[in-house]
Amino acid sequence: MDFITENLITILILLPAFGALAVLGHSIFWNEVKHLKWITLGITFVIFLVSLLLLGDSTLSANGYYFEKNVVWIEAINTNYHVGVDGLSLWLVILTTFIMPIAVLSTWDAVEKRHTAFYVFLLLLQSAMIGVFVSLDLLVFYLFFEASLVPMFFLIGIWGGSNRIYAAVKFFIFTALGSLLMLVAIISLYYMHFQQVGFGTFDYITLLNSLQSGKLIYGAGSTGTLLFLAFALAFSIKVPVFPFHTWLPDAHTEAPTAGSVILAAVLLKMGTYGLMRFNFTLFPEASRELAWIFIILAIIGIIYGALVAMVQPDIKRLVAYSSIAHMGFVILGMFSFTELGMQGALYTMLAHGVTTGALFLLVGFIYDRRHTRLISEYGGLSSIMPIYATFFVITTMASIGLPFLNGFVGEFLIMIGMWSATILSGSWNKIAAMLAGTGVIFAAVYLLWMVQRVFFGKLTNEKNRNLRDLNAREIGLMVPLLFLMVFMGVYPKPILDASKNSVVAIQKIVNGETKGGTVSTLKVKEK
Amino acid sequence: MNTLLFFQNLVNPDVNVPIVLPEFIIAIAGIIVMVYDSFKPAKQRITGAVSIIGLILATVATFWLWATPGNPASAFNGMMVTDNLRLSFTVVFLLVSILTILISSVWVENEKVPAGEYHALLLFATVGMMFMASGNDMVIIFLGLETLSIATYVMAGLRKNDLRSNESAMKYFILGSYASAFLLYGMALVYGATGSTNITEIAAVLSSGESAFPTLFLVGGAMLLIGFGFKVATVPFHIWTPDVYEGAPTPITGFMAAGPKAAGFASFLRIFAIGFPLVATVQASALLHESWITALTMMAILTMTIGNIAAIVQNNVKRMLAYSSIAHAGYALVGFIGAGVATTVTGRDEAIAAVAFYMLTYAVTNLGAFAVVTLLAQKNDRRTEFEDYNGIGFKSPVLAFTLSLFMLSLLGLPLTAGFIGKVLVFRPALEAGSAMLTFLVIVAVVNTAISAYYYLRLIVVMFFKERTTDWIAPKIPTALGAVILLTVLGVFYFGLFGNSTIKSFTKSPATTKPATTQNAQLK
Repeated sequence: MDFITENLITILILLPAFGALAVLGHSIFWNEVKHLKWITLGITFVIFLVSLLLLGDSTLSANGYYFEKNVVWIEAINTNYHVGVDGLSLWLVILTTFIMPIAVLSTWDAVEKRHTAFYVFLLLLQSAMIGVFVSLDLLVFYLFFEASLVPMFFLIGIWGGSNRIYAAVKFFIFTALGSLLMLVAIISLYYMHFQQVGFGTFDYITLLNSLQSGKLIYGAGSTGTLLFLAFALAFSIKVPVFPFHTWLPDAHTEAPTAGSVILAAVLLKMGTYGLMRFNFTLFPEASRELAWIFIILAIIGIIYGALVAMVQPDIKRLVAYSSIAHMGFVILGMFSFTELGMQGALYTMLAHGVTTGALFLLVGFIYDRRHTRLISEYGGLSSIMPIYATFFVITTMASIGLPFLNGFVGEFLIMIGMWSATILSGSWNKIAAMLAGTGVIFAAVYLLWMVQRVFFGKLTNEKNRNLRDLNAREIGLMVPLLFLMVFMGVYPKPILDASKNSVVAIQKIVNGETKGGTVSTLKVKEK
Repeated sequence: MNTLLFFQNLVNPDVNVPIVLPEFIIAIAGIIVMVYDSFKPAKQRITGAVSIIGLILATVATFWLWATPGNPASAFNGMMVTDNLRLSFTVVFLLVSILTILISSVWVENEKVPAGEYHALLLFATVGMMFMASGNDMVIIFLGLETLSIATYVMAGLRKNDLRSNESAMKYFILGSYASAFLLYGMALVYGATGSTNITEIAAVLSSGESAFPTLFLVGGAMLLIGFGFKVATVPFHIWTPDVYEGAPTPITGFMAAGPKAAGFASFLRIFAIGFPLVATVQASALLHESWITALTMMAILTMTIGNIAAIVQNNVKRMLAYSSIAHAGYALVGFIGAGVATTVTGRDEAIAAVAFYMLTYAVTNLGAFAVVTLLAQKNDRRTEFEDYNGIGFKSPVLAFTLSLFMLSLLGLPLTAGFIGKVLVFRPALEAGSAMLTFLVIVAVVNTAISAYYYLRLIVVMFFKERTTDWIAPKIPTALGAVILLTVLGVFYFGLFGNSTIKSFTKSPATTKPATTQNAQLK
């Protein structure tokens, strides 16, 4: 047990990779396609259970992280395999491990070809995603950040819809371009540290310590701003923030259901997580200076995403655009630099993972039955598929942000945070909060209108008359998600409590309140 | 007095055999192969085995030189040196040649290539490359270069009945000779300016400020730049590359893209980064240094950009790989420039090691890719268009997945060798902190993103498209299987555990002073 707790994070990263090997080995030596999904489901479920150990007791390391591990990787460039979790990354890791078994189940019978490769890529993707959230070395972080692209590229490209090649290539090149500029910034940081402190490092903690103690300074020029922008571009493309969003609808629409679920639930969060973890703490001044840009882009994203979602004829594309709007909320909350706003942002990240994941699942169910996602093909489904309709409506409500469901908590916190923020001058903070508030109304419009056209009224298309309602597997899939939607809406305390200290520490750094201190302020006192 | 010393040297030359042991072994192996072939021709297995044994022995000798302290730092009156530049590049050459012999075994059998001649040529080319890395004298470097070039001209035309192969050899020969002339002229001018062909002495003359002919230096340097620019295929001296690479037999193309290119970089680095250092107080040196750094920066930017953009529009996999090799020369130049601007000897050695490591990762990845392409191309290089790869992903999964891995490594994706290589070469250029070089690195990075398009395209056609015509999965012969296994392991090994390799590449062997120091006074 000691071994497990000491290497818990490494085990979490490696388990999916070994699982991929197991799937591969099984298909080579046994070649029984039916087993593969069971094996993958079993592995992902075990990983989920193991990841719950993260919630257990553990000693806090001197740097303020749990389960920290620091091993030399490449000495020549002083890069270490340095991993650990705090209140911020903890929930995102658990979200990842929680979503995976659901993603596997979501395409239970829908994978028609290349079964082995499908499950191998799914598991490799999980390794990379967990790696992103736990890395405390910038180069290792970059490594996982990039590595997550490849499996997703294959998932979209091989098992995607008709326009999959375009979507896959666009997805890859957009994200790769952004992250490569981040690599330049990472290497620049290494050299600035080398010149000013005497040794180069990629280590996040060391860089942060040097910055906080004033040993590493960006100087009066634009260096800090440029580095901030290089990091921010990579993450903004991933989120995606408004003008960089064009890859998302294509990727989401073409990806297989499992891919869309993972993309929405986890991959987008890598961007917001990166902004909060790295941009805010490594470049606090630049973050404050440029916050207004991100706030404007976030509001544009909220309103634009909603307006475009409204006119989509395709349900999946509609959900994809709604993601842009939701991620706009997250960005807004983060850049309010208030505790409430940032906690709300983290909470919305988790809530969006659950709800939008669920929405993509639901779209996948109907697509499996009718092989179309056009709203105009449906109508009056509630009488044919009552259980499906119920689940869909609840999920939609959660996505809109109805009180007592999970969407509400985060968005409410974000709006209070923005309202009370001081980052913009004068009453602009309040105007920003109000503008964002209109997004909730828009969300109600496009989602409810879609629900009305698909589910209510008379049955308009005879082809839909004999659709069967959800089967046991599909209900079983949705129940945990629905439970979480309600639970997170009614009782957000445990999640917010656990993340509080980490978020506050980041908020203090970005507001310049902990200058001259050490990262000991980052310590998470309790979970 | 000087004359006396000169004659003393003639009578009692500074000979040291161990220091040229690796070159010696390869040359002997080449002669054995040639002689054996003239008695018993067409025995591929025997000549191949002799060559590989020779190459392995030479590798052992190289590591021995590296690990054993007490060898002189230079011998033959300063003509040969033992430093990290020579040894690390030599390792790359030997690896390239071993892999090339293994890759070409299939092709040699399919096309009835005279195996003995081919193996002998390859070994002599290897000797040439090794002399290019170990020579500390422009004469030796030129000799090595010509040995290499003549062997490669012939190898490019080995497929005698194929017009494209003939065209490739002819073009390579004419343009190559033309470039050699530039190189030689440059060497002559530099000799005119300094009175020496020895690189250490040229650097000494430059630093002392004794040279009265900065113009000669500049013109000579420019000529050298053109000559080497041709050899390592940088824009605008790259025009020959795609035609030659496309026409040459696929295994030879792989060899040319990896070996001679690395050799070109070795002597290019030796002459420019070591021979033309920056001594701020000396006007000629500062002028020369600034000119070649600026010129190389421009060349690097053009090389990467044009190489990548041209690669995008190619429909032939070999041509795509040819243009991608141009782009990779551009990335390696970034590290080269880093070596040029390094302010300390340690910094310079680290940058040189970075370029060598980059060439190593490129060689491993590229040869792996060419092994797969050779196997898929079959007789007469029939299947080398992108269309021929349509939908083979799950029909030949092992080949397709390894080829994808090589493409991702060429792209420089993390966890593969290419990533560590790229990080290492970009690092020294950023260290200088100058705006021009930071811009250079940003251009390199943007280019990496552009290159994603055509590397991914191969993956796209293999996995995402459907195959309309029949596909008979080729059987993987043992030798090629070994190459593919080795290169796949290499890609992961250098990507994950490259640490020890980088460390040893940075380290020069512990050497003693050269046996005679007279040559320093010999002017």
